[in-house]
Amino acid sequence: MALMRKKQRVSGEIPTASMADIAFLLLVFFLVTTVFDEERGLQIVLPEEQSEVDVPQKNVMHLIIMPNGQVRVKQGESTNERMVTAAEIADLWRLAYAANENLIAAVKTDLNAPHKYMIDVLDQLQLAGATRISLQPLEN
Amino acid sequence: MMRQGGLKRKSKTSSEIPSSSLADMAFLLLIFFMVSTTFRKEKPLDIEIPDAEATKKLDVPRKDVLHIWVNRTGEVWINDQLIPMPSVSNIVGGLGAENPTLKIVLRADSEVPYRYIDGVQQELREARSLYLTFYTSVEQRINRERR
Repeated sequence: MALMRKKQRVSGEIPTASMADIAFLLLVFFLVTTVFDEERGLQIVLPEEQSEVDVPQKNVMHLIIMPNGQVRVKQGESTNERMVTAAEIADLWRLAYAANENLIAAVKTDLNAPHKYMIDVLDQLQLAGATRISLQPLEN
Repeated sequence: MMRQGGLKRKSKTSSEIPSSSLADMAFLLLIFFMVSTTFRKEKPLDIEIPDAEATKKLDVPRKDVLHIWVNRTGEVWINDQLIPMPSVSNIVGGLGAENPTLKIVLRADSEVPYRYIDGVQQELREARSLYLTFYTSVEQRINRERR
């Protein structure tokens, strides 16, 4: 009986030894989970006002973006158009650019087409290394 | 020789690193970072950012960047203010006069019709602010094949 009635030895203090661990854990957690909101995107330089440059038609690749996201590709003066999806444009551009180094991409977007389809085409062109890109609205 | 025992007293310096102030230091750091964090002024609109694989980081100081927000219905917001489309060139032109190295970041919803994007572009040309970035996020479609 005497053995069972041992006095309880619970300390009345709050343990402070692990406090530093908790604080550092919080600190490291916030350091790791912080994401810096950096500026990123697709960069482009707009042409100045009233600075229309005449480009020979043979150096232009017309990319006409339809409201449903399909792209009509027409090269220069040739009348035959191809319907492609945005994903094919990078390869198309590389092929055409290999044949003609003065090539300019004229991206004409339908006024009702969602913005993302224009971004898709611009993305493909920039992936393929195109630097001379002209963004225009599609006039009927 | 009489005082020998008194002089050679055992040194009582503790060999342990004091850890009782460690928590205070850690919390101090934590509070420092919490207080020194600044959040961006603009409240984000409900905008879905389009994806693009060719997304590049824009290396310009934050003070040289002006955000133009275009939401799904084609409303243009600059510095938390709704700007009617014809006034965009005045606003951007005024800010561009104060800061000639101003770069524009256009945060447009992926579904907004292109007419509004074209409208903003024309206004920017009018304001002679020609460095434009279309804000995009890096594509995260895993099933897309790598090129």
